[in-house]
Amino acid sequence: MLEGVSVVRDGRAILDSVDLTLRERRIAVLGPNGSGKSTLVRLLNGLVTPSKGRVAVDGHDTAKDAALVRRRVGFVFQNPENQIVFPIVSEDLAFGLKHLKLPKAELHRRVLEALERFGIGHLAERQSHTLSGGERQLVALAAVMVMKPALVVFDEPTTLLDLRNRNRIRAAITEMPESAIVVSHDLDLVRDFDRAIVIDQGRVVRDDRPGPAIDWYRAHFG
Amino acid sequence: MIGSLYIGGDSLLHRQPAWRKLLVLFAAGIVLFVVQAPEILAGAAVAAAAILATVRPPLRALRRQLTGVAIILAAIFAANAVFADWGTAFAMLFRLSTLVLLALAVTMTTRTSDMLEVVERVLQPLERTGLVNAARVSLAVSLAIRFVPEIFARYREIRDAQAARGLAGNPVALIVPLVVRTLKSAEEIAAAIDARGFEGAHPSGSASGRTGRQGGTAS
Repeated sequence: MLEGVSVVRDGRAILDSVDLTLRERRIAVLGPNGSGKSTLVRLLNGLVTPSKGRVAVDGHDTAKDAALVRRRVGFVFQNPENQIVFPIVSEDLAFGLKHLKLPKAELHRRVLEALERFGIGHLAERQSHTLSGGERQLVALAAVMVMKPALVVFDEPTTLLDLRNRNRIRAAITEMPESAIVVSHDLDLVRDFDRAIVIDQGRVVRDDRPGPAIDWYRAHFG
Repeated sequence: MIGSLYIGGDSLLHRQPAWRKLLVLFAAGIVLFVVQAPEILAGAAVAAAAILATVRPPLRALRRQLTGVAIILAAIFAANAVFADWGTAFAMLFRLSTLVLLALAVTMTTRTSDMLEVVERVLQPLERTGLVNAARVSLAVSLAIRFVPEIFARYREIRDAQAARGLAGNPVALIVPLVVRTLKSAEEIAAAIDARGFEGAHPSGSASGRTGRQGGTAS
């Protein structure tokens, strides 16, 4: 939930008095480059804190309870290259779990389970820098899902991918049971979502079902 | 090129805990510098090679790792032969070869995360003094290992792009974009570590020491 949220950087308003309650299972965030989409979704994970107003996830203020919020909200970045921090894939997935102090066997089981879920179990022992773009994005997604978040935020997850890998990520997002908020320029990806929010110049300019919202977006920014 | 040298497997060395392997390597380092006899050191080098062979390392990986080291060892051997004597030169050659082969056997059979766990444990007493944050140190080491190949790939990309523009020999055209791109991804990496809930900095904190930034990224 965002209440009267403004984000100001270097005297410029990136977001301006945004009020939103996000409950739907699949929500798309659309908007032109520089409109404030990424800032909006980064607020949900506490990566950005508001200059004014309040952001709460399940009642937890993102500015005060960032650690708690991050356990509930996973975040998949546009460039998975910067999201994978360990040299071996399985080590990277174990990175987040380590802080939960799980027994080794349980940790190993959860890592394999997360990899298998996206059909990349065979990559467990691969060196991170040898993965293809699509494999990296799936590993980054598995690394987020291994923490079992209730909500996953995707910031332009298909932008850097070719058609085949784009389809793999699309399928992964469509099939996952968790709630998802997806920032994307890929309008086909979000067409079947429950809700679409269009942002422009830091303000919500349209909040609707994806069909009408996409048509409106195309008419105004296409 | 640096990167994780780990090779999956089920050899005796693979099954040993990381702390034991590192302890033996540490002890071997001390013993090797106490022993002066070239014959004994030659035996140690053969033994180290045999230990490495039990890991069954791929020949290509082995060649890649040892070529550079062999050149350095040859230079050290030559310098010792010229400025000291043959006995010292051979002792130095066998001593360093043994250490390199043992270290390679350890790194090829130990996951980075297991090794970092040992580093964290060793640093924990220092953590109580407030001088060191063990989790941060271990994360920094991991990031260095993880991102050196990426930075090298980025370097090649920029070098090719500048060559295409006719700026092949211009170091500024190479270094400036490389530094800018690396710093930009460093910021993104810090955000990604924060987003994944790394609590090494403080219990509810962030890897980069900032729980959420004032301001944002416009896109």
